[in-house]
Amino acid sequence: MSQVKRIVIAAVCAAIGIVLPMAFHSIPNAGSVWLPMHIPVMICGLVAGPAAGAATGLLAPVLSSLLTGMPAMPVLPPMACELVVYGLVSGALSQRVRTGSTSRDLYVSLVSAMVAGRVVRGVLSALIFSAGSYSLEAWLMTSFATCLTGIVLQLVVVVPIVVSLERAGLVPPRNPEE
Amino acid sequence: MRALSGYVWADSPLHRAPAAAKLAGLLVCVALVVAARGWALLAVCAGCAALAALSRVGWRRALQPVWAMRWFLVVILAMNALFGGGPALAGAGTPAAAAAQGDALSLGPVVLNASGAAQGATVVVRVAAVAVLGALLTATTRPQQLIDGVRVLLAPLGRVGLSVEPVALAVGVTVQFVPTLLRESRQIIWAQRIRCGDVSSRGILRRAVSYVRLLVPIFVSAFRRADELSVAMEARGYRLDDEPRARKGRHS
Repeated sequence: MSQVKRIVIAAVCAAIGIVLPMAFHSIPNAGSVWLPMHIPVMICGLVAGPAAGAATGLLAPVLSSLLTGMPAMPVLPPMACELVVYGLVSGALSQRVRTGSTSRDLYVSLVSAMVAGRVVRGVLSALIFSAGSYSLEAWLMTSFATCLTGIVLQLVVVVPIVVSLERAGLVPPRNPEE
Repeated sequence: MRALSGYVWADSPLHRAPAAAKLAGLLVCVALVVAARGWALLAVCAGCAALAALSRVGWRRALQPVWAMRWFLVVILAMNALFGGGPALAGAGTPAAAAAQGDALSLGPVVLNASGAAQGATVVVRVAAVAVLGALLTATTRPQQLIDGVRVLLAPLGRVGLSVEPVALAVGVTVQFVPTLLRESRQIIWAQRIRCGDVSSRGILRRAVSYVRLLVPIFVSAFRRADELSVAMEARGYRLDDEPRARKGRHS
């Protein structure tokens, strides 16, 4: 995949990351429960690599905050860091993990990214963004309990979307012989 | 795009100020809000109020994000008042003992901690001030001006060898694609409605599931556009792999 295409995919995924939350916000409390902005970031990492994934992870929340006011400025720094890690880890692992099955590769990369992003957000919140007022209970509540629906949604939709994009010929297939 | 961004038409010094200066100012103000304590924080808040008045966007628009976060702020204040601070926590089991320490207010079985409440109020004021500053930026700056502002702020990175062009390209394409994707998403939603899809259902779960069903067509449609755009750019000689051709492509 050329550099130009990677950047355009990162930009388009960032645009989806702005549009999807706007659609989901007609549902009460949807942002923190359904995590609509996480989906395009992970998809971008899986199909276009770590740099493009990280770029989407940074652009989507920052531009969304500037253009639509969501997420609010105080929530932006930890969220941007978390999304950058999602894009970075999903992209780096999708390039390296080769189990012989596309779906298995993608799920390993996706789940690792989901765990890494949450751990990094928790560590940064405890040390920098909410130093002194952040606890393990708060991390478990915000990273897993509140957004359980969003986690299930990501596990259900991200890999099928990537496979659909490969089958539509819009991104290069990982295992051409499959 | 302007409606999306929440830009408010008005003629004020903030509207006329360059976007890069406003972005840099926002960063400085956020640092001040985070660093300030006590009376200094109140002075910073007075500065925010003065900026809101100066911007002529209306108090309603300036306070819109604070209103949107009202329950979040109430929870922060309540959690700090109930569980924050040291002295009242020690006597939490016995409200009378906690109240007797002078730092807590006993309301039946609930003990409110004065120092915790003060800490919570500080956090709430900081969050609200940063939210108002962000709202003032988006209300007084058009999206295209914001992109130009980001480009100007990133320009110094080019002098230390970092390539600014990919970042500028990504920001530009993202902002251009938002209205296009919004339009396409609406078309897909209408198409699903015609096929009896229940996007506007009153049931929250039903509505959410119907949105999830839209994800695959939205992504496939967006990636098709990305594919067409990148092919068109490369066909016109736009390359980022080698700098001379990129420059040539940009001006072609």
